[in-house]
Amino acid sequence: MSDAMAAALAAEEAAIYAYGLLGVKLTSDGDLTEARACEAIHRDRRDALVLRLAALKASTAPAPAGYQLPFEVTDRDSALKLAIQVEDGVAQAWRATLPSTEGGDRSTALSALTDAAVRATRWRRRGNVSPVTLPWPGRP
Amino acid sequence: MVLDGPVKRRQLLGGVAGTAGLATLTGCGLFGDDPEPAPAPDALQPVLDEALALAAGYDRAAVADPALKVFGDDHRAHAAELAKLIGATLPSAAPSAPAAGNSKAALRKAEQAAQKTATAACKTAPAERAGIVGSIAAARAAHAEALR
Repeated sequence: MSDAMAAALAAEEAAIYAYGLLGVKLTSDGDLTEARACEAIHRDRRDALVLRLAALKASTAPAPAGYQLPFEVTDRDSALKLAIQVEDGVAQAWRATLPSTEGGDRSTALSALTDAAVRATRWRRRGNVSPVTLPWPGRP
Repeated sequence: MVLDGPVKRRQLLGGVAGTAGLATLTGCGLFGDDPEPAPAPDALQPVLDEALALAAGYDRAAVADPALKVFGDDHRAHAAELAKLIGATLPSAAPSAPAAGNSKAALRKAEQAAQKTATAACKTAPAERAGIVGSIAAARAAHAEALR
């Protein structure tokens, strides 16, 4: 269980880093508000995971200082593309925790997976990416 | 027929004994002809029924708005995997679950209700089913968001 949850923590850390970076390329109020809301949620998830993993006495790797981005973020299009990719990645990490969790941990994981799928849909709509949904959110 | 003599009573008794003997000989075979009680439906059957109902709803709605067809395709993909998982055969006719309405608002409501079903099913699902049902719950939530 804690290996998958540690991976979810790493995905949340990466998401926080990515939003900090892609937010610079967003200019419209709508995009910025959305990005800030997303980043705040990822911080909340990260903090809750840190507490939960500490309670489970699970070891976690420290978050790296920086990440290799999958592509350069140079404008709004690439910023939105990164946001979509980040949310899809977060959905995958949380989905992977479902089989090994139960009770409250599984509820948390499912709600994190669901939220990430919803946010990815919002970013796809903002970026005019079609279709706006995936048939299997979180499936690698 | 009126049983009014000893002979006839003996015949009757013999008949009863004969039947009992037959039952003994064939063991529980006499009762084995009774239809088996129907097995309890799989916990994921309601999730499957909703997937079929939503797919049908989007098919009808796509006549007026073809952009909605992809959502129906998602539900069909869910139904196919669920049917394989629980060993159900997909009906070729209309689903038994009440059909979702065709308007976007009605479909959105149906997605939200279906998301609740899948969420509840995921919470109690065994490990090997948790991922697939979790993804279905997330997909339904994303559909509802897309219809806003």
